[in-house]
Amino acid sequence: MAEEPQKTEGEEKPAASEHVDGKTMHVKVYAPFKVYFDGEAESISAVNETGPFDILPKHHNFMTLLDACDVIVRSGGNEEKIPITRGIMHVKADEIIVFLDV
Amino acid sequence: MKRPNEIEREEKSMAALVELTSVFEGIASMKIAQIKNQVLEATAFFNELWHIYSQLHVSAIFGFGRSQDDVEVIDKELYIIITAEGGFSGDIDQKLIQLMLKTYDKDKNAIIVIGHHGAIQLAQRGISYEKYFKLPNKDQNINVTPIIKEVQKYKKTTVFYQEYISLMSQDVKSIELSKAVSDKGQQSEDPDEIISEANYIFEPSTYDVVDHLERSMMQIAMSQLILNSKLAQYASRFRAMSASHTRADEAKQDLRMLYNRSKRNIKDARLKESIIGIKKSKAGAAS
Repeated sequence: MAEEPQKTEGEEKPAASEHVDGKTMHVKVYAPFKVYFDGEAESISAVNETGPFDILPKHHNFMTLLDACDVIVRSGGNEEKIPITRGIMHVKADEIIVFLDV
Repeated sequence: MKRPNEIEREEKSMAALVELTSVFEGIASMKIAQIKNQVLEATAFFNELWHIYSQLHVSAIFGFGRSQDDVEVIDKELYIIITAEGGFSGDIDQKLIQLMLKTYDKDKNAIIVIGHHGAIQLAQRGISYEKYFKLPNKDQNINVTPIIKEVQKYKKTTVFYQEYISLMSQDVKSIELSKAVSDKGQQSEDPDEIISEANYIFEPSTYDVVDHLERSMMQIAMSQLILNSKLAQYASRFRAMSASHTRADEAKQDLRMLYNRSKRNIKDARLKESIIGIKKSKAGAAS
């Protein structure tokens, strides 16, 4: 009997190259002990020192310190509001990670 | 010898103690499992942050998040000692202080103590400390910002903490904080590319982001060391409760034996009295 191929961690989420339609990106918002959002999204909004900003697919590589605000993740017509006190956002090739409580 | 009903009462109270120690043992064991899980979760978070930091080649040296501060750094090594809050930690806090005293020099070191028990131990030995912080009650989202602010004032920081090895074994250790951060970072993947202003937009600025990342990683490393100490303290408490449970259980069994012996003695005494009575009545009838 053939063995089932083992799932690797990379297979859990779509790779950057899979966002070829240019309409979604992979967003993960999490703190050391809790994951608030992990999935595909059309956009994400937050506030930094400069003011409110939105990240859409195909955004340039970006790193910013977030101010206290509601991080808004828009996915499949739904809006998820995540109130934060501080955080770091890392954007690279349609992969967005928001580190909270740091 | 005590009367059986007295012994029975003692046995009942000992049975309550057996149950109580068993409950405490269970709580300590549950806390250990929870904290171990939290340490793993926080490590995964830290690794991802470190992965990004390691791609930012701003400086080869860890900067303690103070690259833009104008404040003069104190030319002393800061000792942070993480002890228990209460006195139920056995002798592990004393061992920790003894380890610290091996290298302590009051002209070269400043001490920050976490945990009331450690503060008392230092005061009893006549050793002064700069600041005292309460050991956090909660095991999640520990606010270590005030401690990290102190760390940033000093040239170098060494943390003395309790290490959980197993349920039955705990040890005392020390580690330089910047080494604790980089050691944790070694566990994560190697950087796959360099992040710089040439290929990234930074807001507010590259140095602000790097400083923030360094402070964040120090905070996580510090929280991990506090969690590790708490884990060791829970394990130490579990061991103490386990020993008390065994002792209480043995005492309960001894009391049960004493109760049975006491009841048998009463029965024997009554039997003896009856036999003597029968003998006397027989002797009376014969005469």
